[in-house]
This record gives sequence, C-alpha cells and structure tokens, in this order.
Amino acid sequence: MTAPAMRPERAGRTAPMARRTHGIAPAGPLLKVEDLVVRFSTHEGTVHAVNGISFELESGETLGLVGESGCGKSVTNLAIMRLLPKPAGRIAGGRVEFDGLDLVRLSENEMRDLRGKEVAMIFQDPMTSLNPVLTIEEQMVETIRAHRKVTRAEARARSIELLGMVGIPKPETRLRSHPHQFSGGMRQRVMIAMALSLEPKLMIADEPTTALDVTIQAQVLELLRDLTDRLGTAVILITHDLGVVAGMTQRINVMYAGFIVETATTADLFAQPSHPYTVGLLHSIPRLDAERHEPLIPIEGAPPDQRRSPTGCPFAPRCAWRLPVCWTDNPPLSPIVAGTRVVLTGPDTTHRIACHNPPTPEEATAGMPLRPGFIAAPPPGVVVDELAATLDLSPAAAEEVVIMTDEGPVSTAASAGGLPLPPEDDQR
Amino acid sequence: MTTAAATVPRAEARVSSGLWRDALRRLLRNRPALLGLFLIGVFVTVAVLAPVIAPADPLARFTWNPPSGPPPGPAANHLFGLDRQGHDEFSRVIFGARISLFVGVISVIMGLAMGGVVGAIAGAAGGRIDNVLMRVVDVLLAVPGILLAIGIVAWLDRGLVQIMLAVAATNAPIFARLLRGSLLAIRESDYVLAARALGASGPRLLFRHMIPNALTPMIVAATLALATAIIDVAGLGFLGLGPPDPRTAEWGTMLTDSTVALRSAPHLIFFPGVAIIISAIGFNLLGDGLRESLDPRLKR
Repeated sequence: MTAPAMRPERAGRTAPMARRTHGIAPAGPLLKVEDLVVRFSTHEGTVHAVNGISFELESGETLGLVGESGCGKSVTNLAIMRLLPKPAGRIAGGRVEFDGLDLVRLSENEMRDLRGKEVAMIFQDPMTSLNPVLTIEEQMVETIRAHRKVTRAEARARSIELLGMVGIPKPETRLRSHPHQFSGGMRQRVMIAMALSLEPKLMIADEPTTALDVTIQAQVLELLRDLTDRLGTAVILITHDLGVVAGMTQRINVMYAGFIVETATTADLFAQPSHPYTVGLLHSIPRLDAERHEPLIPIEGAPPDQRRSPTGCPFAPRCAWRLPVCWTDNPPLSPIVAGTRVVLTGPDTTHRIACHNPPTPEEATAGMPLRPGFIAAPPPGVVVDELAATLDLSPAAAEEVVIMTDEGPVSTAASAGGLPLPPEDDQR
Repeated sequence: MTTAAATVPRAEARVSSGLWRDALRRLLRNRPALLGLFLIGVFVTVAVLAPVIAPADPLARFTWNPPSGPPPGPAANHLFGLDRQGHDEFSRVIFGARISLFVGVISVIMGLAMGGVVGAIAGAAGGRIDNVLMRVVDVLLAVPGILLAIGIVAWLDRGLVQIMLAVAATNAPIFARLLRGSLLAIRESDYVLAARALGASGPRLLFRHMIPNALTPMIVAATLALATAIIDVAGLGFLGLGPPDPRTAEWGTMLTDSTVALRSAPHLIFFPGVAIIISAIGFNLLGDGLRESLDPRLKR
C-alpha cells in the first residue's frame, strides 16, 4: 500500500447544511456535469481541451481536481462558470446542471446573476485578481450590491464582518485600503471574503495557494476549509499539488488530457492509487515518510498535443503499463472491482479508473511495473522495437505497420516521437 | 493608552494614502515636473488675472515718434514695446494667454470626449465594430494634424469654436486609439475575469473596472496634447485662421503681424514666441512627470 503523502483522512466534515429552498428544492446533486466537451478554435487547429467528462457534486461536498498543467482542470471550471475566453473557447457538448438549472442553456443575464451569488470562483494569483484602482471597500460593496438589494451602509457592514471572518485585522480601517497595500496572503483572504460574501452554494478555487508562500498556503487552506464548512459551501479545488488535496478534499478526480482517468474518495485514492498516471503523480513528488534513498520517479514526456482528437488512451505514450490495445482504444471509467454498483458522490463513492492494464497494489507502491514484459520507464511514444515485440514481428516488418486510427492511417515509421499530428484537423 | 492613541492616526494616514496620493508624492519629487507645474501655474495665473496684470487695454493704441519709424522696442512705459498698430505688446501677450489656455483646454477636453467615446466603444465591443472604428481612426491619423485643422477651419469658417473643433479633431483619433489599446489589454486581465466570476455586469465592468485602469495613460496623453494644442492654435493663427477679429490678442496672429517688421522690430516676434514655447514646455514637462509618477511599474 502506498503511504499517502499527507493525512488524507478528513475527520467527518459537518453535514451539509440543509439546502436553502427557493420554492421547490430540486432533487439530485448540486452539480451534475454530463459529457462535457470543450473545444478551443486556434490558428493551429482545434484544441480538444475537455473530452466528455462527467462528475457530480453534492451540496457541501469538497472535490479535488488534480492533474498537470494543461489537463483541462481550469477549463472545466471556466466552462461551468461560462467564462471561457471568447471567441476561441466554447462548450461543444454536454450538460452542466446546477441546482436544477442547465447552465449551458442559461442566457448571459441569468448566468451573470448566478455568478457570485450561487457559484463563486477564486483564482491562482491574488496579486492580480483585485482591481488595483479600487479600494477593497468599493470592490466588496459592489459585489454584494450587484446581487442583493441592500444599502451601501449595509453592504459595508457586511464587508467588515466578512473581512473579520477571514482574519484581516482592523477590518474597518483596512476596508479603505487599496489592493497594493496588502500582502499576497491577505489579498487571497480578501478574495475568499468576496467570493463567500453572498454565501454561494458552490465555490470553485483554482489553485488558490499556488502563488503564495508555503507558510501562508496552510493558513489560507485552513481558512478556506473552515469557512466553507461553516457555510456548507460545496468546493471544487483545482490543484496540481497532491498534498493540498489530501488535506482539503473528500473526493478527487484525476484529470489527464481532458479526461477524468481516476476518481475516488481521497482516502481510497491515496490508499490504492490505481491509474498509472495517478501512481506516477504520487511517485514524482518527495514524501516526508519515504525511505531515505527511495528515488523519485518522474513521469517521462509531456501531456499530449491536444490539437489531435484523442485516439486510444491519451496517457499511453508516457505509460509504463501500456498494452497494444492502449494505442487504439481509450477505456471508459469503470470500477476497479468489476461489477460494483457505481456510486458517484459521498463517502461511498466507487473507485473508478480508465485503464486497460492497471498497476497492481505492489506495482503502485513500487511506482513501476514488476511483471515480466514491461520495463520501468519506456521511452515516450510509439517505438518500432516495442511494437515489434508486442506484435511479435520482425523490426523490419514493424516499420511497415500502419495503425488505423479515427484520424486515418498512421504509419509507425514516421512516428517515433508518438502518434503524429493528422495533417488537417476537423473543425467540429 | 497613550501609545495606542498615537499609533491610530498614523495607521489611518497610511491606509488612506491611495494610489493617487502616492502618485502625487512621486510627482512632487520630480524636479522637471515641478518646473513644468510652475510654468503652467504662471501661465494659468496670467491668463486668469490678465485684466488685473495687464497695464493697458490690449486694443488701446499708442503713438510713437517718428510715426514713420518702426514701432519702439521694450521701454519702461511699454515693457515689451509696441506693435505696428501701436498696441502695448506686454498687455497683448498677457491677454493672448487667455485664448491659448481657453482654446487649448476646451479643445483637448472635446478631443478626449470624442476619442474616449470612440475608443471605449471599440475596446469594449471588439470584433467588427472595433475594426471599422479603428480604420476610420487610421485614416484620420494619416492626415497631418495641421492640415486637418486647416481643412476644418476652411470648411466651417473662422471662429473660436471652429478652432477648438479643428484642434479637437486632430487629437481625438490619438485618444481613441490609446484608450482602445488599453481596454483590450485590460479586458484580458485577471481582475476583470475575477470580477466577472463574481457577477459584475457588462457596463460595471467597463466603467468601474476597465476605464479607470485605462485612465492614467489618457491623463498623460491629455497633458502632452495640451502642449500640442497650444502650438496648433498658434499655428492656425499664424496661418491667418485665428480668431475672426484680426485685432484679437492671439499669439499666432501676433507672430504673423510681426513677420513684416522682422528686422526693424524683432521684439514683436520674440515675446509671443517665448510665451508659446514656455507654455508648451510647461505641459510637456508635466506630462512626462505624470507618466513617470503614474506608472505603477516605476513605483519604489
């Protein structure tokens, strides 16, 4: 068993607050993302940023989204907020159901009304997320008054209360400060105060501590956890730092190249990481409890070029456990124990992975395949020798192999660096 | 108790010192900017207090001996001498400041308004609207400013309002392009995205978040434009397109009058020329100083 990098257990979060009922409380989860597809049209072709992901979130639940840069974590959430950069980014398919509303179909006005009030978002860099020319008071009062019919004085009183809640000393005086008079950690506290000012049901935190000092990170995370606990706010926490999600979240989605490749409760994920990518992530960060000389195992290569539409498993070019089938077939998310009834949310969430050849627990602990026929760190990409070995061909014959993909035939001879880009991308 | 009481006001003062106050402090440490401020101060005081300062009515005519000779130069009774019509040159330079200041300021404000609206629409709307507006701006910028101004005055006839319009028209495209460029950059900024994520509406984003952040380059450009506006007004006057009444004390018109007597009465070209240069230098120095003190990247 892999010992988790940090304590994954999150001693029983307070039960989610009863949902504020506006008329009829809709049944089902707070957030339901179904087959979400996001595409970016660029000069170099269509970028397949998010490729049909589905997940759910209950009220008050905390979900971590983990993955390398460019895996579609932020894009997923910008899509939920309908804040994809225009005109390049667009939701090309799927549904985002929030509190019974289909966010993809809401008008811009309805969506604006929802932002801040029902769903709030905080960003990575607090140094640039506050408007430099407005005082904290102006920005906070404005946010509150954009959604609530309250007087300026009432909004101001609420702002003072909120700044106190996030631990800003002397909130009455600090309210009149400009952002440049705050440190980074203090600015992120202000951002949290603003995001929670209307008690949203869902808060999306996009790498909220990446830009902060390590000592401040813990404080800000603690604050975020306490406040969202107290308010019963559901949280989606985006991060590439597994240590952060370990302490903060109840469930984790691991994303790779716009797919969810593993989903489990935080405890399950750390106890039994089951997708080669998750195993790779866990073994590529140093751990305090590791054996002295245990080496770090990097994940070779880089995330794939998402301008080609995905064929096969996107992780195959970097995967030590890959099989021939991985090049041509992208497996769906399925329970690690076959035949289990799938639970999507809560403490009994089914541990699911998208993998043809998952590492055994021993291999997950070792961070590399232990079975014969696999090598610890295969060079990234399709390699002729490897293909020859797996298909039992002579090397010369392997060079003649043409793999049929959705994009058309791809010859291995030209593809030592991975499957090549198709000549012209579709403009779906 | 006493320490607490003593620290409170200090914290207060520090907190309330906002961006503008910081900028002002930096500006006051900048010597060239202070000189500019001083020159502008003199210019504005002279313009406002012209009737008090001027020893004579700018339209009153004096005589000199021999009447056939050139107008006399500086002397005790007429500090800057007399012009060819016998007007007191000192009083005319002083009253000329009024027209330069008034026309300069109004035309820059008009230019700011026109250019600001066009730039804001282009920067906020983007796409095709932006494209069309910017091509119009390109065409206007391709025409030399003074030529454009001459054309407008020639078309609309002589008059103060026409001069203002003409100078404003030469400034407006510069302001439009500047504001539009700033807005496009600011539109992509994190704080605009953050404000949108908290539900800020389109107009609020534009007027509260984007335009205030685009303001500092506009202030600098407007200050520098005042210098060019004063020169443009004088230039129009020099070309005979000044105020409709040729007797009006206006620096450019005064220069034209004196070219005939360039050798015999050089003081007539010296004093209005110096007045134009000093006022233009004042605004240029202040503009550069503002650019430095308002730029957050230069903050120490």
